[in-house]
Amino acid sequence: MGKRITVDPVTRIEGHLKIEVELENGKVKNAWSSGTMARGFEALLTGKDPRDASWVTSRFCGVCFSVHTMASAAALDEAFGAEVPDGGRILRNLIMASEYLYDHIIHFYHLTALDYLDIMAIANYKGKDAELLAVKDKIVSLVKRGDTHPLTPRYEPDDFSVADPDIVIMAVKHYLDALKIQVTAKNMGAILGGRAPHFQTIVVGGVTQVPSVEQLGRFKSMLAEVTAFIKNVYMKDVLLFATGPLFPLAKLGVGGGHLNYLSYGSFPEDSSGKNLFFKPGVIKNGNIPNPEEFDQQKITESVKHAWYRAKDPVHPYEGEQVFDLNKSDAYSFVKAPRYDGMPFEVGPQARMFIMQEPNLMGLVKAGVKPGAVARHGARMLETVMLADQMQVWLGELIDLMGKPGFKVHDTANYEPPSSGEGSGYYEAPRGALGHWIKIKDKKIENYQAVVPSTWNASPRDEKGQRGQYEESLIGTPVPDPENPINIVRVIRSFDPCLACAVHVIHPRTNEILKFRIE
Amino acid sequence: MLLFGKGGSNLLSSFRNINRRDFLKFCAGTATILGLSEAAVPRIARAVGDAAKKPAVIWLEGQDCAGCSISFINTSNPGTAEIVLDTISLRYHETLMAASGHVAEKALHDTIAEGGYVLIVEGSIPEADDRFCTIADTPFVKTVSKAAANAAAVIAIGACATYGGIPRGTPSKGQGVGWAMEKGLVPKKPLINLSTCPVHPEHLVGTIVYYLLFAKAPPMDSVGRPLMFFDKLIHDNCERRGHFDNGEFLQDWNGFGERNWCLYLKGCKGPFTYSDCPTRRWNDGLNWCIGCGAGCQGCAQPEFYTGMSPLYAKTTDIAGMKIETVGAVLAGATAIGLAGHFIGQAATGRLGKGGPAEDGGES
Repeated sequence: MGKRITVDPVTRIEGHLKIEVELENGKVKNAWSSGTMARGFEALLTGKDPRDASWVTSRFCGVCFSVHTMASAAALDEAFGAEVPDGGRILRNLIMASEYLYDHIIHFYHLTALDYLDIMAIANYKGKDAELLAVKDKIVSLVKRGDTHPLTPRYEPDDFSVADPDIVIMAVKHYLDALKIQVTAKNMGAILGGRAPHFQTIVVGGVTQVPSVEQLGRFKSMLAEVTAFIKNVYMKDVLLFATGPLFPLAKLGVGGGHLNYLSYGSFPEDSSGKNLFFKPGVIKNGNIPNPEEFDQQKITESVKHAWYRAKDPVHPYEGEQVFDLNKSDAYSFVKAPRYDGMPFEVGPQARMFIMQEPNLMGLVKAGVKPGAVARHGARMLETVMLADQMQVWLGELIDLMGKPGFKVHDTANYEPPSSGEGSGYYEAPRGALGHWIKIKDKKIENYQAVVPSTWNASPRDEKGQRGQYEESLIGTPVPDPENPINIVRVIRSFDPCLACAVHVIHPRTNEILKFRIE
Repeated sequence: MLLFGKGGSNLLSSFRNINRRDFLKFCAGTATILGLSEAAVPRIARAVGDAAKKPAVIWLEGQDCAGCSISFINTSNPGTAEIVLDTISLRYHETLMAASGHVAEKALHDTIAEGGYVLIVEGSIPEADDRFCTIADTPFVKTVSKAAANAAAVIAIGACATYGGIPRGTPSKGQGVGWAMEKGLVPKKPLINLSTCPVHPEHLVGTIVYYLLFAKAPPMDSVGRPLMFFDKLIHDNCERRGHFDNGEFLQDWNGFGERNWCLYLKGCKGPFTYSDCPTRRWNDGLNWCIGCGAGCQGCAQPEFYTGMSPLYAKTTDIAGMKIETVGAVLAGATAIGLAGHFIGQAATGRLGKGGPAEDGGES
């Protein structure tokens, strides 16, 4: 057996994640991922007023808060028989798209860039650019004071790290600029969503606020500012890194994993709910040019290696959460969702492959293999796509507002029904998200969510197929076990969000066994 | 001037290398947050001018959603970079720090050994079983306990870390830091509770700067919240208060005429909640929960969430306290009970159809 190493905590992600790998000849031979925190939202919601769900489930995750609210509201819309008016639909789209803009910018600059930069190379910057010199002064002054937290300590830079002072100093300047622009993007969401994080306006039937002309004007100018950053800075940085210093990593396809991709689709373009801006679809076995149609009936969840009572894989609607803590072959609280019995990747790379995004296809043609670097590329490309589309939606909204009968909410169907059920399928920034609700006696009888990181972070299933995090680590070079920087590069490329992946706990079981893989 | 006692770091030290313009901007921004006048700027500048070393901060995340971290980086005057790089020495913060795994753990334990830092806690501590939250194979409560032992002060942020928030109602029974101190699970230290879900970035930045100026915890209410942020009932300062007094209650979010009417019938918990949200608002003042028509959900209160549910239905009492007494119990003489108004309005006939004296159909 090879050398076993553990990375715990994996930082710069949402939630608490532990990764264990087995190394052989300097490469990952086997891998296990596990979430190490759980709360138990489902039990909390049982018996509550169904309308609470869209507000409470936002707290599944404080990073991608809006999409939980959206998926929950969509499930409630169906269960209540509410029809969201066009105004409400477009406002929901704009609010959620604002979240994408801030979330993807934060992910690239603040959660992941430090994995690729040797920040201390800044000291060697010899240029004369006044703004860059200010950045140099800032970092050098931190070094002189002997306190560079939280930029250090760190895993040490390796062969894939960028140490060119001109590139590093520019990237650090953009890190600082992005800290400000992410505030602007979040604040855009707050104009229409009430506040951020954790938007307020999304309720069953639509939204609670008819925006004023002044609010829309402000939103428009902030969108222009954020879009300029996305196109002039974020896009260029990702392209520069992907085709320059990180091209070797990209060509190796480090972090590729199973080449299966799934998207539920997201951002409804009309009241039918069928015409979606992000398209649903399925790609199997790396057959990227030929996406298939998505059929939600083919989703099942396996509990073979999760601490739940043994049961054949079933659709989430028929799922149960009965713990079996003595299952010897279990090692995770995260269930293993499968589509057509296969493990899938969800998230920006999946979405952009399914939509055959031409720029991503171009990168693939140029030799970039699916994997960690391609994931960053896809994330950037969809950010650009969404920023442009938000202008379109904003125009549609303003047109609608000028017409009589403009509505944002279905007030007639706001009272909880005596019984009903509904499902909400959305794409979170991190990937496919589903919420399911059952209502009885006007209260929540059952609430379920299968979240993006459940797909990506899942354990093995009946067939022994690894989850996508685990599979994507196989073959990853780790020449120095004390410095497993490639492991966190691969895992962070997925933008993990663990709090929601392990939110589901059986209401009557408070016991959790600590697990060790021997 | 040592702020954190023997062996402590000096919070004032942080400003030594900031240039003059940025420095004054920082002072002005924090004066605004603290509600101090322009006249206080020179005082802040004097107080922070003779720095030696940035004060260490450990930021722990337990049963959290990272929403408070994401809210904190929404601070814009002063900005996140000014706080995180120039003002404090952020030794451990899972969502922001460069290090992972054993490198991160070493930074945590080295700082604990050093002592004298500020401990910020985000997320709850599971009461039901330690193993609902472990990091680096260590139960979260043990890490909080160890970190609190050598801390100068503890700031609990967000509903979860203050009073348990949403997780308190789950099977894991998430509890706040104050609970853990009461139970003897965590050593008792000066504890400042900044509730609301998520924490308001200005509440956190303002509390840090208060320490910097006055070398002690700010005056607090009976549940450990700084009075400078939490002394007023939302209802008393609400921009929609005039509509409440006139008996004008929003029933249809589409209705243009009633767009800014009182949200009491939509479940607003403003009459039961203490926070400066109406004046401070959120996201650089762009909006807030009542401003956007959604109503207050009571996230600043110890009773939140379970005690505030149902969120979107009219509420007449919270946690067993009737509307007549809720104000008096929580804030003493400054609060004006809701019932008094209703009685007065009913007497003058100002409550129309659907007013709170009648059943608005939102049971």
